[in-house]
Amino acid sequence: MSGIDPLLSDTATRVFADTSTFAAVEQAETDGWAPAIWDAVAETGLAWVSVPESAGGSGGSLADAVEVLRIAGRHAVPLPLAETGVLGGWLLAGAGLDIPDHAVSVVPGLPRDDVRLDRGALTGTAHRVPWARAVGTIVLLAEDAGRAVVVAVDANDVRVHAAVNLAGEPRETVGFDGVVPLAVAPVARGLDGNALRQRGALARTAVMAGALERLEELTLEYTATRRQFGKPVGTFQAVQAHLVHGAQESVLVSVALAAAVRATEAGPARFEIAAAKLLADQAATTATRHAHQAHGAMGMTREYPLHHLTRRLWAWRSEYGDERAWSRTLGDWIVAAGPDALYPVIAGGSRALESAMTVAPSGARDDT
Amino acid sequence: MRFEFTELNDVELALQTDVRDFLATTLPRGSFEPGLGMAGRKDPAFSQQLAARGWVGMSLPREYGGGDRAAVERFVVAEELLRWGAPVGHHWVADRQSGPLLAKVGTPEQKERFLPAICRGELSFSIGMSEPDSGSDLASVATRATRTDGGWVVNGTKVWTTGAHEHDWIIALVRTSDAEDRHAGLSQVLVDLRAPGVEINPIPFLDGTVDFNEVVFTDVFVADTDVVGPVGMGWAQIGQELAFERGGPDRWLSTYLVLEQYLREHGDALDGAMVELLGAAAARFWGLRNLSLSVARAIDAHGQPSVQAALVKEMGTRFEQDLLEEVRRLVDVEPVPDSPSLFERLLANAILTSPAFTIRGGTIEILRSVAAKGLSA
Repeated sequence: MSGIDPLLSDTATRVFADTSTFAAVEQAETDGWAPAIWDAVAETGLAWVSVPESAGGSGGSLADAVEVLRIAGRHAVPLPLAETGVLGGWLLAGAGLDIPDHAVSVVPGLPRDDVRLDRGALTGTAHRVPWARAVGTIVLLAEDAGRAVVVAVDANDVRVHAAVNLAGEPRETVGFDGVVPLAVAPVARGLDGNALRQRGALARTAVMAGALERLEELTLEYTATRRQFGKPVGTFQAVQAHLVHGAQESVLVSVALAAAVRATEAGPARFEIAAAKLLADQAATTATRHAHQAHGAMGMTREYPLHHLTRRLWAWRSEYGDERAWSRTLGDWIVAAGPDALYPVIAGGSRALESAMTVAPSGARDDT
Repeated sequence: MRFEFTELNDVELALQTDVRDFLATTLPRGSFEPGLGMAGRKDPAFSQQLAARGWVGMSLPREYGGGDRAAVERFVVAEELLRWGAPVGHHWVADRQSGPLLAKVGTPEQKERFLPAICRGELSFSIGMSEPDSGSDLASVATRATRTDGGWVVNGTKVWTTGAHEHDWIIALVRTSDAEDRHAGLSQVLVDLRAPGVEINPIPFLDGTVDFNEVVFTDVFVADTDVVGPVGMGWAQIGQELAFERGGPDRWLSTYLVLEQYLREHGDALDGAMVELLGAAAARFWGLRNLSLSVARAIDAHGQPSVQAALVKEMGTRFEQDLLEEVRRLVDVEPVPDSPSLFERLLANAILTSPAFTIRGGTIEILRSVAAKGLSA
């Protein structure tokens, strides 16, 4: 991606390589938190990239933050990094609220959640909240007398039922029993559950792109080293097919991510974000299959690092919209835009989509 | 393996608008039978109309009638023509690879003789690579050119030669010496497809159509002035030529119109599965296009993205087939070639021709080998 300070990429790579080691990621899965990694990202400010300095963040662009997340994905960083900055920091700063100096989680807002804000107190249950027990503050969107608001809650004030995702990352069930929030403020203009879902999808696409890159590198390294029949297994055409198909999915997602970031910074971006997350979700299926097959039994062991990436990819593909959800959403837009807009949208993304949507779809049929 | 994200700039977007306006005016939907990507029909008059707009030979030098335009600009024009199903068959090969090859390695006299006519959309070319015993192992070609006064005498047989029965010229890969290094003995020569000793025998396609040919050379005289590039450099030249051929929109748009036409004919009665397929297909088209455009931009930056191009073509052609199969699975029709529905005709045509997508211009197995070498490099 262009316009990113190479120093930022270097810092993120160094910090994550030093702290988010194989052993540290394993330990985090047992303990539910990784204090040493958190201390490093807090100290360097990596957790708050893209949150304005005026609001207490580290400053920088969304592209910068996505770059940090991509590198975090490469290192399977077991922290609510996106939740603290790109999602939580964004919600809080947009509503004019203070950014805490500890980790933050964000309620993703699933259809089965039933959290309500009533006379200044929250009741109900939210699901799949990342690291709810470990963070200091939980942020969620709610309605207050018909207005959309951002709500910040002290994590000590909620009931947490432990739950994890396929990678052993905490995704907890949070009960609000008349909790009085730390702060409530109207959302930034235009912000709603869909906007959070899109930004969450972009954040997950970023870590998935990083994980897919590293997955491909590990697979190339392994197949160049592992010898059978007297030569590296990576020299067999059947194995090369796995390498090529994995690499294709990885580059597809990396470039899609860059396109989605660019669109987000330039204007409407719903098509690019939805398409990028969908491609990442599909890649999580196909690229992991190729990587595991190329690794053979070694990839199935706990001691080999492949699973830190593949289990995360399998988990993240379900978060902030899975393949089915984004396919349906994209398909609904395509149908609404009509056949004449299909290629313009493929080539022009959200701009073309928005302009097709403002012209009422003709619905014209042409059976010639 | 790097692909840099790129997008169209304002000048390129204006070109895109021009091409769309031109097609909507000159070739409105319903006024012609659209084809599947680069298998669009041949229409020299249409090729010449395009040429009059400067959209044939775009990448060729201006002094020979070309546009000196960038690879990205050619990409923009190509994708619009292909997704429209326009009849591009007459000029496609000349524009994509024969012209660029001659511009790169041809003599001034060859450039003068061929490039202006290519840029006018007049001359059409066939590719003379495969032979009965040389497919993926192209270096094993056995068509032989023997030295004679002022030129060469060519004997041998080329196969799977698209359009040879209608095209003007063929650029044939021939063996000019029995060098120990079998790559070193290869050269490329221009042969007039109407020249004495050239026999063209149709090889009907499995659907009964005739576009494939066997081209037999019997003592065909090729003047020294019709050798393309230095004698013995044929292998290196086709490597570059194949890079022109790979990674472009013709490698992922072949079944696009099947999808669009389904939406056009059945958009008011789609079930959930079809809506999801439309969404997923749009996303993958967009993703592939990002990569394909990145390859074009890399060419303009004087990169040599041959590995990236192979990677895109391998993925793009598989997608062309997968998409077709997913559409077919979801629609409740028996595809017949003479259906009154354009969607059904396109579907039928695509089913019958789709196996070629992953074979033509280098099989996906060969492409994987090319790409895998680049991955580990």
